[in-house]
Amino acid sequence: MAAIFTLAWIYLRIGMMFVGGGYVLIPLLNHVIVEQQQWLTLREFLDGVALSQLTPGPLAMLATFAGFRSAGIAGALVATTCIFLPCTVFMLLVGRYYERLKHIDIIKQTLDGLMPAVVGLIAAAAWNLGAASLAEAREFVILAVGFAIFKFTKVSPMVVILGAGVVGFLIN
Amino acid sequence: MNNVADRIKLREIFLTFAKIGLTGFGGGMAIVALIERICVKEKGWLSDEEFLHGLAFGQILGPFSLNVSIFTGYYLRGIAGGMIAAGGFLLPSFLLVILLSWLYFTYQTLPELQAALKATNPVVIGLILVVALDMGRKQIRSNFKALMAVMAFVASVLLKLNSALILLAAVIVSVGIAAFRRESQ
Repeated sequence: MAAIFTLAWIYLRIGMMFVGGGYVLIPLLNHVIVEQQQWLTLREFLDGVALSQLTPGPLAMLATFAGFRSAGIAGALVATTCIFLPCTVFMLLVGRYYERLKHIDIIKQTLDGLMPAVVGLIAAAAWNLGAASLAEAREFVILAVGFAIFKFTKVSPMVVILGAGVVGFLIN
Repeated sequence: MNNVADRIKLREIFLTFAKIGLTGFGGGMAIVALIERICVKEKGWLSDEEFLHGLAFGQILGPFSLNVSIFTGYYLRGIAGGMIAAGGFLLPSFLLVILLSWLYFTYQTLPELQAALKATNPVVIGLILVVALDMGRKQIRSNFKALMAVMAFVASVLLKLNSALILLAAVIVSVGIAAFRRESQ
């Protein structure tokens, strides 16, 4: 039971730091779940990112995956609820007070000022995760091909990840 | 609440967002576009202007696809409406992730799955890289902002600082700057 409370508190805290879009969760969750709590290995974490791209839900469904690993379906439910609780409460308050809030530009300016740091952190996550998990030359080739597809075409991540899975199955 | 909202049942809100959550592949903006088409254009539940306000606030905390759903649900039926919309939107993905997680952790050690995942791993890193670049091109419009991004990168990669700490520092700096601009206006 104590374990479930720890889990709840950890995901609640992440939910409160969940600013500037879903990808900020990659550095945040990597730090807490892989490095601090060791609930997932780095490989499992990256596989979880791939897996969350196969669903229509937000990237934050990564919390469902990690919660499931820690404590089964109960863990998945608690992790998912807690990571989304802060933004749900926030949006309900916005809905309630938005007539008054919509003229406050300090919120927008703060977000504008924060976004560059979010961008820096996401780039750093790509660097850190790549440095820790990639070793073989052909992995870098796959990285380059994936990068080019995402950058220059509109193919959805789901299709690209499934395609990469098939390629991996065939070449390994 | 307007007159349209009075007639909308919680069940309809749930089913509408469950449908969006089930069919909205493509993530983020693609889902917001789908919500806009269904709730604003087809059903006329809220106006374009209100929807855009919800979208603006939805980018502050959490995923904006979920936040726009909550905003719309709240607009229609208050707190219950907001929570029902969130539940409906998340339920299909939640069930799908549970199923995929169970399959993954059960068959993780199969050589065939290992082989497949060995190639998805670099692709995921490529995806994160492209997200960083695309967001950077959109968000970084001044030398100062570029400096903030580089500092966050360096703090994480070279100094190995905790991402939460870096975010907190960035919040303090940007609140400070926003407050300073307000003063000097």
